Amino acid sequence: MNISKAKEVVISVIDEALEGKAEITEDMQLIGGESLLDSMKLVEVCLALEDVADEHGFEFDWTSEAAMSKSRSMFRSVAALAEEFANQSEV
Amino acid sequence: MIIVTGASRGLGQAITERLIERGEEVIGLARNTNELKIDAIECDVSDYAAVKNASKEVKRMRKPVKAFINAAGVASMNMAVTTDESTVQKLMQTNLVGTIYCCQLFAPIMLRQKQGCFINFSTIAVALALKGESVYAASKAGVESFSRTFAREMADFNVRVNCIAPGPIRTDLLRGITDTQIENITSQQVIQRQFQKSDVCDLVELLLDEKATSLSGQVLNVGGV
Repeated sequence: MNISKAKEVVISVIDEALEGKAEITEDMQLIGGESLLDSMKLVEVCLALEDVADEHGFEFDWTSEAAMSKSRSMFRSVAALAEEFANQSEV
Repeated sequence: MIIVTGASRGLGQAITERLIERGEEVIGLARNTNELKIDAIECDVSDYAAVKNASKEVKRMRKPVKAFINAAGVASMNMAVTTDESTVQKLMQTNLVGTIYCCQLFAPIMLRQKQGCFINFSTIAVALALKGESVYAASKAGVESFSRTFAREMADFNVRVNCIAPGPIRTDLLRGITDTQIENITSQQVIQRQFQKSDVCDLVELLLDEKATSLSGQVLNVGGV
């Protein structure tokens, strides 16, 4: 999956989790004080991405070191999550 | 299905046998699966990569996971000053870190289901502050603390987390413990007798029961404290 398709998927999934109540930008944070997603919504986003990955024939691992690391967490922004999602589709 | 760690011996084995008796499908996780007569995955719970691989394998089975039972554990009955470094590491890595790895890596399966429960194992030595079990009790106190907080994190997803804290149950973990030492422990319990593996299996069944859906974040001390 290329990066632009991954961004499209991630934004769509987050939009659904937020029930269309916020504009989603690529630099929007997904964790931390400024995130619009609470932990429950974030889990829902991850589970939805698992489903999309499944449809595309790959496994999306959101419990990886890349997910958990504070400095390079895939949840630091929408763009970072999309990039990780695209990367994992290539493995 | 129900997943049991440490399924090849001790309490894990007894729990596995009880669950099979009641018709449950059980997947055992154990370091050595050769002698297990059930479906099993070779897994050292203290090894993050091994637990992760096991969770992927279970996920690929695409079956509902009713419960995950963290029964794998090691014990060392020694005063802190006579416990060597490698034993300290092993106790912490297997009892505490292993439980955390299993919970965090298998939780996504239950989060998706919005159903399920984790049963973790502590020891009555935590509540009784038993002399001669300081490092072992510390590793299990960590399990209790983790479980209480993890229970809150899972609650919104209808996933329950509880601990069973047995007293001196006759298993390999009690090798070398004398009857007098056992009496010293049981005399501090509310019910002052030694309980058996079957009593612990009864509590596992209780926690799995639909009637226990109000129980989460609890530590059940066998014999009472």
